[in-house]
Amino acid sequence: MDFFELLKESLPMLMQGLMLTLQLSAVSLFFAMIIGIVASLMGMSKNIVLRGINRVLVAVVRGTPLLVQAFFIYFGITGLLNIRITAFLAGVIALSFNAGGYLSEIFRGGIQAVDPGQREAARSLGLSAAQTTWRIIIPQAIRICIPSVVNQWCITIKDTSIISVIGLAELTNAGDAIISRTYRSFEVWIMVGVLYFIVIWLLTKLARFVEKKVSLDEQH
Amino acid sequence: MNNTKSPKVEVRGLHKYFGKNEVLKGIDCDIQTGEVVCVIGPSGSGKSTFLRCINCLEEPTQGTVLVDGNLMDDKAKNIDELREDVGMVFQHFNLFPHLSVMENLTIAPILRKKMQKEEAEKVGMDLLTRVGLADKADAMPNSLSGGQKQRVAIARALAMRPGLMLFDEPTSALDPEMVGEVLDVMRQLAKEGMTMVIVTHEMGFARQVSNRVLFIDQGVIAEAGTPAEVFDNPQNDRTKSFLAKVLNA
Repeated sequence: MDFFELLKESLPMLMQGLMLTLQLSAVSLFFAMIIGIVASLMGMSKNIVLRGINRVLVAVVRGTPLLVQAFFIYFGITGLLNIRITAFLAGVIALSFNAGGYLSEIFRGGIQAVDPGQREAARSLGLSAAQTTWRIIIPQAIRICIPSVVNQWCITIKDTSIISVIGLAELTNAGDAIISRTYRSFEVWIMVGVLYFIVIWLLTKLARFVEKKVSLDEQH
Repeated sequence: MNNTKSPKVEVRGLHKYFGKNEVLKGIDCDIQTGEVVCVIGPSGSGKSTFLRCINCLEEPTQGTVLVDGNLMDDKAKNIDELREDVGMVFQHFNLFPHLSVMENLTIAPILRKKMQKEEAEKVGMDLLTRVGLADKADAMPNSLSGGQKQRVAIARALAMRPGLMLFDEPTSALDPEMVGEVLDVMRQLAKEGMTMVIVTHEMGFARQVSNRVLFIDQGVIAEAGTPAEVFDNPQNDRTKSFLAKVLNA
């Protein structure tokens, strides 16, 4: 079987895996963004308890491997509570909290990077604290954050491959399955790698486009 | 409250600490409606802090600031409303870079005064015409020169129709050739009777437009008087040595 025959034979299964990878990425990143926004607001709150929750989340996410987090959720918590959840759901929970923790730090950094003079100017015009935050600070913070957020998205999309170990038939898992049948490690891992690469490349292109579109450095 | 006799601004026993550092050490001063007051003094003397206490961007550690008889207190419920009447112009312009020039001028009137967009834009266009930038309405702030930015910032503050304008070293961040266009706008404003408090290093301008000059040094008003009194016949030794330094530079 030459390379192209192997490709033809493997592609349906790889595409199925890719679809699952994309679904897992999209759902996880959706919740990760929400967790990240909420957690960053908690991290900047005056309330010491809310700040504490944020600190713990970030410390745990940073301090433990994603693989351990996924095992803990899929086997540890479910075992303790004596419930069963799908590998997909476990993957979503692990990736959402993992990426959410990192994103909260990115958002916090973005908001704090906005010139304090912006808040002063807005308040001196009579804008309330909330109006200042939503109309003046957040729009600028988003622009500052875009490159780091996209970077985190890329990392999380690739991290979905770790969820293969709890048996989810996403792209990496699909590649593994094909190899165990065909013993064509070299070619199949190239195919898997290229598929990840294309996804990330397209996302990066899109991000560059958006970044340029909202840039403040030149006249529109 | 709005008795014409009562001063526009009353500052009483104002002290401000940053940590253990006492920046303002007891300031008392009244500013009358229609008065143009220039605040001069060495850097680090507390001039800007004094100005920022007037609209409560800095909260006094001790003492009170009244504007039109209303206490400026950051925790007061109506502080946003009180700030609407006090325009401020900053050294570094602080235009909102994600909004066009016109949006910079209309955001506060629309959000705070519930003005219709069309009406706010009409007011905005009048103001831009006054500062000579009517053709820049759709430009983004980052495409403007420093002098243009500062003129937009003045127009933005005026869009709220404030009764008092504060200027915090409005020309200090400008290239020399752009200082004049900003001072011209301020001169015009003074002529129209606006109440103004201006922290500045432009001694010629201070002498020309102000009714009164305050010399602040080491956190206190070391000397106050008409421009002629302060510039031509200073009484305080610190005023003398400061003026000798800046005027002979």
